[in-house]
Amino acid sequence: MNIQEIIYKTLVAGDSYKTILKGLAVTVQISLLSVVFGTLLGMIICALRRSRIRIVRTIAAGYIAIVRGSPVLLLLMMMYYVVFAGSGLSATMVAVAAFSLHMSAYTATCFYSAINATDSKQVEAARTLGFSKYQAFILIMLPQAAKIASGTYQSTIVTLIQWTSVVGYVTITDLTRVINNIGSRTMQPLFMILVGLLIYLGMAYICYGVFDLAKKASELKKKRRRKM
Amino acid sequence: MSMIRVENLSKSFGSLQVLKNVNLTVDKGERVVIIGSSGCGKSVFLRCMDLLETPDDGKIFIGEDELTSKKADLNRIRRKVGMVYQRFHLFSHMNVLDNITLAPIKLLGLTRAEAEKRAEVLLNMIGLESRKYAMPEVLSGGQQQRIAIVRCLAMDPEVMLFDEPTSALDPTMVGEVLATMRLLAKQGMTMIIVTHEMDFAREIATRVLYMDEHGIFEEGTPQEIFDAPKKKKTRDFIHKMKYLSWQIETRDFDLMQLQGNIRSFAQKYGLDEKKAYRLQLCTEELIYEMLNYGKSDAAVDIQIQISFDERDKCTVIELRSKGGKYNPFEIESEDEVHLGVTILKHTAKRLDYQYDGESNCMNIEL
Repeated sequence: MNIQEIIYKTLVAGDSYKTILKGLAVTVQISLLSVVFGTLLGMIICALRRSRIRIVRTIAAGYIAIVRGSPVLLLLMMMYYVVFAGSGLSATMVAVAAFSLHMSAYTATCFYSAINATDSKQVEAARTLGFSKYQAFILIMLPQAAKIASGTYQSTIVTLIQWTSVVGYVTITDLTRVINNIGSRTMQPLFMILVGLLIYLGMAYICYGVFDLAKKASELKKKRRRKM
Repeated sequence: MSMIRVENLSKSFGSLQVLKNVNLTVDKGERVVIIGSSGCGKSVFLRCMDLLETPDDGKIFIGEDELTSKKADLNRIRRKVGMVYQRFHLFSHMNVLDNITLAPIKLLGLTRAEAEKRAEVLLNMIGLESRKYAMPEVLSGGQQQRIAIVRCLAMDPEVMLFDEPTSALDPTMVGEVLATMRLLAKQGMTMIIVTHEMDFAREIATRVLYMDEHGIFEEGTPQEIFDAPKKKKTRDFIHKMKYLSWQIETRDFDLMQLQGNIRSFAQKYGLDEKKAYRLQLCTEELIYEMLNYGKSDAAVDIQIQISFDERDKCTVIELRSKGGKYNPFEIESEDEVHLGVTILKHTAKRLDYQYDGESNCMNIEL
């Protein structure tokens, strides 16, 4: 069998590509929602981790330790078979919940250490100029922390996308599941695995690319202002 | 009217009392320099004046506003007070111009053009206009500190606080920062400065505060504090006095150990060989003179204190010997019995003797 035949058989025949796209959509949906909710939750956890009240700090630290310490697949299974069992929530939404928790613990750590790495005295200097606590945080600490956190945050997202490949365990037909199915049906598992790898790789680089573009856009804005 | 008024300020960290019932009034146009050894609370005191440390007790007024009041609009009051740190703390993600214009734009409601114009005038004043687009990390410490000063000035403050502004700079850059501060002084800015630069303090201050024992220990004009401090602790600090004390209670005391201590004392503070030898010699002669001739009874109680003035580089031996009155310096004859006295008379710059009723007190400057 030559390569054209393999491609036709695996990707085209019987609208296979549509099935693959559907799987991809599920993976993208779970990833995107988990990134959004996980990041928001991570911000809240990070804020709690920095609370003035000791018990709140301890609880936040405990949450991070437990969630980061448990395998995401077990977290997912526990959600599906125990926590949301019989709740009527779709498997995809359960997966989003599980990955959001996972993501929140990692982003909370990422933001927390980024904030700690900034010079808190610069915030103090801003306060002495008359800025409020909130203004000083938004204008001084946040831009610096964001720059420090950016790299770790990107790899956290990419890792999350890759981890979503385990949702097949809880009956969800995502990209990995589809690839696997087609591979077995057409007896071309190796080829399909390569196709799957390429698609995941593509998603990772789209993700990095988006951050890169955002960075370049902000630099351009700065430069333009300087020329004025 | 007073610019800053501090009433009964107290502050402690845990069980460590730093400030206790401190009072201070600073008038408009005054330049107050605060000196004192490390850990005496001078920085904490300064930081309290911008409420960067919350006092345990007492009141602080900036102009008519009470900073320590619960209802105080802290952000508004702080605009009137500029704070310059030891380590500059420029906003590291912004260039010089943005560092200076940020607060005027966001807080005073200036347009960008107005704020930049103001910044350029200030940068011109310190001669750094050409660096306005530079990021802080590429600038030298001295340049960063001058920009930190200008960043405060852009808010048009009524009083400037300086917390050891030159301590983190290498010596070649201290001058440029001090020059900027002199410029401010000339313009009549009210300034409170914590510093270790004594010459600068003497030159710029209208009043000097020496801090010790949880508060303002002594205050006065620069002449009063630097040339004629009234209290011993102030004098010790100004002159950087170093002491070596020794007590002799028996006739067969350990001379070798005393000599060794004098030698290491001399080495520690950089006294030269000759001076160290003279110090040893004079101390020994003085002790034996008192032991052999100045004692009527067997009881020996001699106290020796050697002091070294690091500022003026002079060394003084003080000796107190309990017992009947005996002044070795009155012996006229240069006989061999009192050879020690002869040696002392020839080596010392100054010899003083006093009898206070129970002890012979001698004070010898080498």
